[in-house]
Amino acid sequence: MAKTYDYLFKLLLIGDSGVGKTSILFRFSEDAFNISFISTIGIDFKIRTIDLDGKKVKLQIWDTAGQERFRTITTAYYRGSMGIMLVYDVTNEKSFENIKNWIRNIEENASADVEKMILGNKCDLDAKRQVSKERGEQLAVEYQIKFVETSAKDSLNVEFAFYTLARDIKAKMEKKQEASNPPGGRTGAHQLRANEQQRKPTSWLSRCSVL
Amino acid sequence: MSCSSVEDIPEQCKDLFTQDGVLLKASIGRSISDLNSIGMLCIVQNSDGTKCIEWRPNDLITIDSDTQDQEWAVVNTIGRRQRTLSGNMTSDYAAARARIIRIPLDELKTFKCSRNNQQMQFSTKQGVWQNTFYFQHGNAEIFVAYLKNHVKTAKTRHDRNTYVVVEPNIESQVLNRSFAELDIFTENTTDVVWNLVSNFKQRPYETTLEAFSKLTDIVYYGNEGMNGKRDVSEEVAELLTKSMSALEDTTTVTRTDEYEVINVKPTLPPRPCIPRGTPLSTEKWEGLQDPEGRVTEIDGVRQLIFRGGVAHSIRNSVWKYLLDYHPWRMTDAEIKILQKRKTEEYFSMKLQWRSMTDGQESRFSEYRDRKSLVEKDVNRTDRTHPFFAGDNNPNLMVLQDILMTYVMYNFDLGYVQGMSDILAPLLLLLGNEVDTFWCFVGFMEKIASNFDMDQAGMKQQLVNLQQLLTFASPELAKHLASKDSGNMYFCFRWLLVWFKREFSHRDIMRLWEVLWTGLPCANFHLFICVAILDSEKDVLISKDYGFTEILKHVNDLSMCLDVDRILSTAEGIYHQIISAPHLSDQIRIILGIPTVGSRPEPEPEPEPQTSQTNGNVETDPGQTDMEEVTLEYNGLQISIVTKTVWALLA
Repeated sequence: MAKTYDYLFKLLLIGDSGVGKTSILFRFSEDAFNISFISTIGIDFKIRTIDLDGKKVKLQIWDTAGQERFRTITTAYYRGSMGIMLVYDVTNEKSFENIKNWIRNIEENASADVEKMILGNKCDLDAKRQVSKERGEQLAVEYQIKFVETSAKDSLNVEFAFYTLARDIKAKMEKKQEASNPPGGRTGAHQLRANEQQRKPTSWLSRCSVL
Repeated sequence: MSCSSVEDIPEQCKDLFTQDGVLLKASIGRSISDLNSIGMLCIVQNSDGTKCIEWRPNDLITIDSDTQDQEWAVVNTIGRRQRTLSGNMTSDYAAARARIIRIPLDELKTFKCSRNNQQMQFSTKQGVWQNTFYFQHGNAEIFVAYLKNHVKTAKTRHDRNTYVVVEPNIESQVLNRSFAELDIFTENTTDVVWNLVSNFKQRPYETTLEAFSKLTDIVYYGNEGMNGKRDVSEEVAELLTKSMSALEDTTTVTRTDEYEVINVKPTLPPRPCIPRGTPLSTEKWEGLQDPEGRVTEIDGVRQLIFRGGVAHSIRNSVWKYLLDYHPWRMTDAEIKILQKRKTEEYFSMKLQWRSMTDGQESRFSEYRDRKSLVEKDVNRTDRTHPFFAGDNNPNLMVLQDILMTYVMYNFDLGYVQGMSDILAPLLLLLGNEVDTFWCFVGFMEKIASNFDMDQAGMKQQLVNLQQLLTFASPELAKHLASKDSGNMYFCFRWLLVWFKREFSHRDIMRLWEVLWTGLPCANFHLFICVAILDSEKDVLISKDYGFTEILKHVNDLSMCLDVDRILSTAEGIYHQIISAPHLSDQIRIILGIPTVGSRPEPEPEPEPQTSQTNGNVETDPGQTDMEEVTLEYNGLQISIVTKTVWALLA
């Protein structure tokens, strides 16, 4: 069977229970939001193929159960992931504090060069906010990780986040390829479709903070 | 070493053991073109009584269509196989025959297992491995076990995988005895199979149980028993089973892979199709209670529920017994008192957290964490069901109150994701907060290990599931292992919340009440997993699903499963396994039945009514009309079908 994509990236969503990992994924894969989501038990994944600078990039995004107790199982799925979204809930202080623990968890279980990004989700719920955007930015600086506040409900910055992470992975990958091969080696032989609606990542830059 | 003298092959000889899918990797004196061809490795008894190990390339093997069912072609133990060597011998055929490798057992000096038990090497001369075979299906474990039945071996000191033949051509005592016993009973003319067929229509379940283990043995030990001339009596069947079981300890060969614990066993008996029954009705339920309200036929009730579930109208009452809230033997009056006490206990625990002030809470992080988890999950539990749908639904408050009270009941365990899934159907059915709480406590008792802090209970179940699947469906287990899915993590959700996410509320009630009976063995929920996987086997294998596709496929089965069909299949698989002559201790432990090692020596039975069954279902042979079949596990005699139950079923 011919491939319909140029790259396959395995991404992972992690973070405390109830921060909105599944909602973010649902927003990105189905462009929808459901207030009455069920909690994730075990592990699941969704697929979306995006167009990135003329390349078809298939994103396989893994969604995990958040509760600490299940980590021994969920960390088994860290292996091979190329990008990780660390998600916290801006209305939940504890979930923000735990980002540090999640980073440690990544260091222990994922490959060292995995691309990371921190997402402060539920930024539409301003009245309930416990974690300011500045604190999120500060944490990101501390760990040298990109950061953006998102709202799966209002479809804010979710696309941007995945595109950014995917682009970073692609850049890293191509850099590695160039290092090992002379440039121009890829012919794009697997590319079959090119008519997917072009999304415009640049338009999001104005309403998010990227470090 | 006489490897290839074609003319020596007798036209008719007996295959004592055959193993398909064995690759010839190396053979001294053979041309390279002979290597890497697939064939069958056998232990053959020649017409003169001598034995040899024989490897036949696949293109030589012809299937005798009328006697060989594919299912049974893998191992046709002791069955007599006509070899179709006579007649039109083409040159190809002759060439293939020339490729047969024969290693007489009285010349065999040493043999060795390696490469995760998948490779076997033989030597008839010290220091030279003349032949090397690779087992594509499973591994050499079973072959070694059978071989050791025919040659006396000792393990070498420096390498526990190398066996030195001490005294060639000596059969194990136990097997000899078995065959001797078998001959004694040749004159018995009862046709077990015919009885099975004729009784099946009238009494399907009982008949199946009664005859199944016998049928197993007949099929397993060759078709002599099938022609109506001979019955393998239960004593013989038992003896044979034991002689096979005695091999168990010799089959344990090095295990390098954590999940490669059980290895492929040759055959399982055919799977009986056991129909589901009708649900326990109001009349039957009332008929099983005495005037004071005590349940008189506890085992009977359990069996009826196992067979058909509970009629919806009486679930509210019956579930309280199944979930150990109401003791079976209590009178109505006693239950009233109990309920009063339990209600008080519930509200006192509820008051404990209800009376917590904001200040207290702010200084009590462990409590706060638990409360936060509960709130998050309650808000996303079954919200599409009308009972829990909509904003400010009061039933969500009840869910929350029960879970918070449970936090106080078992603070150390606290709240773990999945608990709200377990609770929701209980509240939906029972309606009452206090009853629901205590039934939830009872359910949690049954699945407490699912929520261990270190997830040890879940991991153990996943390992057990893998072992069970390997025994029941080795081909699928092998496929999963080859796709990096041998840890069975893709079944995590099934096990954690007992399939709650896979079925509708209506179906989950049926499944759970059946599982709560604890019948027919421990860990029957694992058989549910095996049944589902078995029904997906063809898809998973034929489409060559990999790691991600397996997970996706399994996750997508949610709400597409037929609960009655799965229960029926699971029970069928249970009977296949429990009747398997090669039932290993590992599986026995999962099923909660005595292991071979712990089994008391057979001795004259003091009570003729009770037979030592060790999991095999038997009737007392002295009383053919007796309508009671007993199954023993955990030292308990469990009555499978009593007269009372059959009267009620009718």
